[in-house]
Amino acid sequence: MANTGQSAPIMARSGLSEAAFAWLLISPALLFIGVIVAWPLAETIRLSFTNATLGGEEYIGLANYAELLSSPKFYDTVGRTFYWMFLSVSLKLVMGLIGASLLNAALPGKALFRILVMPPWVIPVAIGVIGWKWMYNGYFGLISGLLQEFGIIQDRVALLATKTSAFYSAVVTDVWVGTPMVTLFFLAAMQGVSRDLYEAAWVDGARRWYRFRRITIPQIMPVIVSMALLSAIWTFNSFEIIWILTEGGPRGATTTLIIDTYKVAISSQRFGEGAARAVVIVALLALFSLAYLYFLNRVNRHYGAK
Amino acid sequence: MATLELSALTKSFGTAQVLHGIDLAVRDREFVVFVGPSGCGKSTLLRIIAGLEEASAGRILIDGVDVSQAAPVDRGISMVFQSYALYPHLTVFENIAFPLRVARLPEAEVRQKVGRAAEILQLNDKLQLKPGQLSGGQRQRVAIGRSIVRNPKVFLFDEPLSNLDAALRGEMRVELSALQRDLDATMIFVTHDQIEAMTMAHRIVVLNKGRIEQFGTPMELYHHPATRFVATFIGQPNMNLLPATVVGTDKDGLTVDIAGGARMTLPVDFGTAQKGDAVEVGIRPENLRLGKGLSMKLRVLERLGGTAISYGATQTGQKICAALAGDSPVREGEDIGLTFAPQDAHVFDNAGRVMRRLAAPALAA
Repeated sequence: MANTGQSAPIMARSGLSEAAFAWLLISPALLFIGVIVAWPLAETIRLSFTNATLGGEEYIGLANYAELLSSPKFYDTVGRTFYWMFLSVSLKLVMGLIGASLLNAALPGKALFRILVMPPWVIPVAIGVIGWKWMYNGYFGLISGLLQEFGIIQDRVALLATKTSAFYSAVVTDVWVGTPMVTLFFLAAMQGVSRDLYEAAWVDGARRWYRFRRITIPQIMPVIVSMALLSAIWTFNSFEIIWILTEGGPRGATTTLIIDTYKVAISSQRFGEGAARAVVIVALLALFSLAYLYFLNRVNRHYGAK
Repeated sequence: MATLELSALTKSFGTAQVLHGIDLAVRDREFVVFVGPSGCGKSTLLRIIAGLEEASAGRILIDGVDVSQAAPVDRGISMVFQSYALYPHLTVFENIAFPLRVARLPEAEVRQKVGRAAEILQLNDKLQLKPGQLSGGQRQRVAIGRSIVRNPKVFLFDEPLSNLDAALRGEMRVELSALQRDLDATMIFVTHDQIEAMTMAHRIVVLNKGRIEQFGTPMELYHHPATRFVATFIGQPNMNLLPATVVGTDKDGLTVDIAGGARMTLPVDFGTAQKGDAVEVGIRPENLRLGKGLSMKLRVLERLGGTAISYGATQTGQKICAALAGDSPVREGEDIGLTFAPQDAHVFDNAGRVMRRLAAPALAA
């Protein structure tokens, strides 16, 4: 109510009621969100009920959705997207935890290591991914070359050329890009854990792994949950990594929902069908967001420090 | 349950030496308090005993066994931290049970031990709560409970009462003293609060700048402070120190001229002191009363009912504090005369060492 006290003179001078004044204050943000988010979203939903192409559009009701739901290929894409998300997020979390634990250890030169973790995150994604594309290359790729050098394989291998290897190669690159941020968030959370807790546990005889399991993990659980769900959303929507590496190929092996949507809507210019896919993505992400808020709330209540 | 012995313990952090050769022998079932100002090394000393810090040199013996290199859990100690260090995500039960879980004791034994600790500490109805739902005093008890269940040889407390409000602190002091008797435990307690030290300790270690100034019973410290530091640190309000000059020595003691005051003969063991030496006469505020001798301009008067704490200064600018009788007819701004009994005076030489009083209460022996 302190705010009311401060804004009262302004309101009195301008002759606005408190509610009107509040609307006035949020109107720039509202306008911004309306133009950038709400209108495109509404337009996408409208388009999803049409057969819009470059040539024009016509209302066709739920036909786009009906087609999607009856297409086995679409279910494959959804399944692949979830698998992609699950694998990539799990790896990011596990590697983030390991990395943060190592960086949190009292080692000489840890500041240097903390800086060395950053590059995948700070260099532009496109540059990093092009680097990976070269490494995966069958003719001059570093990975193929090394594998041959050490006699693990006989012939050169183009990792992005076969379905399975392309998929897992894309996962590796996605994990490479996404891990540093997860690591730094975990590290920040770990540094927030009171040293007394570890000392108390140490006095009581708890060894390193026990302390990690019963103090570190529960103490940073709210951050783990946050990162898991945020990372899930970002990975689900991760476009440029796959697009630069494989453009969704070979033969759809790395085509996730977002890639599929792009290919249909932009490459094939079937805007209506693409819009329907986009709406499905929005719905799924909305579900993730709800789950995120729900879990975060529960975790905070369960592990809440206060 | 156990004795604790420290011998020639030193500790340096880089080039800064924080402990200079600590020798100490704590008896079985003794409640010993380490007291001293911030940075005196008391907490470091406790952490070294706990095994959280490693001593640069010296040995720690618990029950005669050298544990200097042992891990904390193998030393037979338990520790209560200033912050309590409770695990916020675990219930009170699991917090208390933590050391037992680490040791992988069977569930029945865990329940039995936690139950007993909870009973001693009156936490029975709080076992399913989280630490966040407890008051400061209850959290304190949980922390103590966690240290009880391990049945340690020596309990270590690192300023455990400093986060409590004054009333609760008084209560916990009494509870801790009772607990120590009930458990028949050897306890080491660190504090910067001399009231805590005086009220709970069997013996007090006064630390200053990484050295033990004095180790003795509370009454010994009060009546026979070994150094000027101990004299001014123990006792509330602080002891007054008045510069004086030795004018003679005889069988009755040391005769001095007190700056801004009278000539007095004080019954102390003056050792090698001789005429002309500069000394300091220490007199506790509670030993001063109205009379002739020192004259003081009374600046601030705090009437506490039973006593009237009077702050002022002599003509020479020497600050004095006197705890006068509560109904003393004095007023702020007045010049008042103060006096004291010669046997109540403490005399310190140039180096701050005491000249032992020859007449002191039997209690202090």
